[in-house]
Amino acid sequence: MAAERRVKYVKDLLDQIGLGGTRLEMYFLSSAEGARWAEIATEMTRRIRELGPNPLRDG
Amino acid sequence: MIVAEQKPLEEIKRLVADCHKVLVLGCGTCVTVCFAGGEKEVGILASSLRMAARLDGKEIEFLEATVQRQCEHEYNEAIAELVPQVDAVLSIACGIGVQTLNEQFPTKLTLPGLNTKFLGEPTEQGVWEERCQACGNCVLATTGGICPVARCAKSLLNGPCGGSQRGVCEVNAETPCAWQLIYDRMIALGKLDLLLEPTPMKDWRTSRDGGQRKIVREDLRL
Repeated sequence: MAAERRVKYVKDLLDQIGLGGTRLEMYFLSSAEGARWAEIATEMTRRIRELGPNPLRDG
Repeated sequence: MIVAEQKPLEEIKRLVADCHKVLVLGCGTCVTVCFAGGEKEVGILASSLRMAARLDGKEIEFLEATVQRQCEHEYNEAIAELVPQVDAVLSIACGIGVQTLNEQFPTKLTLPGLNTKFLGEPTEQGVWEERCQACGNCVLATTGGICPVARCAKSLLNGPCGGSQRGVCEVNAETPCAWQLIYDRMIALGKLDLLLEPTPMKDWRTSRDGGQRKIVREDLRL
């Protein structure tokens, strides 16, 4: 679908910039999938902690 | 319309590597319509370059602007004040815009941020295909409105060739054989006999092989 293609485009762009496309991800789930949502949030948090803070942040 | 594509970011970074201040200049005509060099693309490219420069530990300031059409001096006057303030102009117009800026502001180098690809048509959203090669001697009246110069890989004027298989060009399976298209169209129009008429040899002197071309309209000159 269109959103998926645009997310892929931005991931590629983030890779080219040097920030890393892994900082952005797209997931498909409904509002009824609470447990999976928690899993995804945990996984994304773990991934970002591993990547470290955004190197462009001031300070 | 002129169809162009942005150069890879790595290449653009190298072009501006020695600059401290760059004007990213977009164009509101052809490259806006093919989503390569319009106002939005200026914003995205300038942002990307800012981020990339900081990640590389460089201090480069990127200004942003867009003019209606970079191929005309009158429109470029709108940004004339910005040019002396920067080390270089990064133009994301077609090659014509880049060259016009270099002529109009000769003390600054205007760099190309796009690769100009071809003259073509958006056949569907997100897809552009070549349609014209500006050969200067249009034969579309005799080929059912389908250009054999641009769309035939060999630019044949008496095609198809032996490589035409099931309506597909031997060069690329995704490319329809232009002459198949021409024949089909002429049949549909009831004008197939036009293809049987003897025609003089095409005058290729008007094509680009002789170098830069020029048109002068004395009735329009000041």
